[in-house]
Amino acid sequence: MTILTFTLILLLAAYSAGLLGSLTGLGGGVVVIPVLTLGFGVDFHYAIGAALVASIATSSGSGSAYVKEGITNIRLGMFLEIATTLGAVCGAAVAIYLNNNVIAVIYGGVLLLTAAMQQRRKSDHEGVVGSEAARRLKLFGTWPQRDGTVRAYQLRNVGGGFGVMYVAGVLSGILGIGSGVLKVLAMDSLMKVPFKVSTTTSNFMMGVTACASAVVYVQRGVIVPDIAFPVMVGVLLGALTGARLLKTMNVRVLRQIFCVAITLVALNMIWQGFSGQY
Amino acid sequence: MISRHIDMQLLLSRTLRWGVGIACVVALVGGLLYLVHCGNQPFNLDDYRHFSYATAADPAYTALPAILDGFLHFTPVGWIQMGVLLLILTPILRVLLSFFSFVEERDWLYAVITAVVLAVIISNSLSL
Repeated sequence: MTILTFTLILLLAAYSAGLLGSLTGLGGGVVVIPVLTLGFGVDFHYAIGAALVASIATSSGSGSAYVKEGITNIRLGMFLEIATTLGAVCGAAVAIYLNNNVIAVIYGGVLLLTAAMQQRRKSDHEGVVGSEAARRLKLFGTWPQRDGTVRAYQLRNVGGGFGVMYVAGVLSGILGIGSGVLKVLAMDSLMKVPFKVSTTTSNFMMGVTACASAVVYVQRGVIVPDIAFPVMVGVLLGALTGARLLKTMNVRVLRQIFCVAITLVALNMIWQGFSGQY
Repeated sequence: MISRHIDMQLLLSRTLRWGVGIACVVALVGGLLYLVHCGNQPFNLDDYRHFSYATAADPAYTALPAILDGFLHFTPVGWIQMGVLLLILTPILRVLLSFFSFVEERDWLYAVITAVVLAVIISNSLSL
């Protein structure tokens, strides 16, 4: 295999990862890891470096659109980023002591949780009475409706959300992925933020969370040009295509197929991790 | 207040888009340069099958001065890694802009919160 062939194959794989990540709302990083480890047999550490690059690219690329539409709750994102960035710093520090098998099992666990969460009903949590802490932190917001009006929402359980966000940050620091599943879990299930606001704010936060550990990973030498270049370009183009397709396409069936696929990948990773094959 | 809120969202949105765009173009230039130079050489996947913290990393991949040097001398590696750094810088710039925006709104609580986030990221990144 020449360098050109490898680059083209990886470019295509990264494009698909970005496309799938954007259509399913999971981000490009989640898909890049199995593509590199299971597909190419690359060491987990390099895959994590690539996932970081992919996470930042998708978050910034698609985030720009959502922020513009005014769905993202910037204050909520910024406040919770304290938890995720601190978590990411800790996660990146801990990652040195974890071998590939442990990382594979953790990653498999996150994937399983992701698949399970995809089955949840998407709720706008109407009539939530916000907590005093949330009011003081000015976390209540509004989001635009289809008919052009805006609707106000309140939220609660700031402490619980903050705690889960810290864990999401730790996982981001270890795995390089955005841990969108935990972020949405914290905002949607605990804090009762409307679903659309949760997902877009989560996406908005991913880039910053990934940045907190990205420089450390560059220094460790796991972000290598051979892999970073096709992943960055491919994932970004895939995410942009996905964002465009999402407006016209019904992705229900795709999400179901994807759910089955990531469950299988997750079980495979956990099995290989426990049997020490990495 | 409302219009300023929207201004800030527009600014953030543009920063993200331009930052990612520029980072991607820089990495793409580096990548094309790389492919033109050595695209037909065999790719050694074995280099990436095992990673060890013990092996000293190539500074051209990992250290800011070496990456900058490569960038200025138009090396493929320098440009790709510079693209990665610009990509990382984009969300950091976003946080910085939010900070100024909160200060301008005299929202001191959020100016402090944003400063904390910025401090965490920068303190963890300083040794590059």
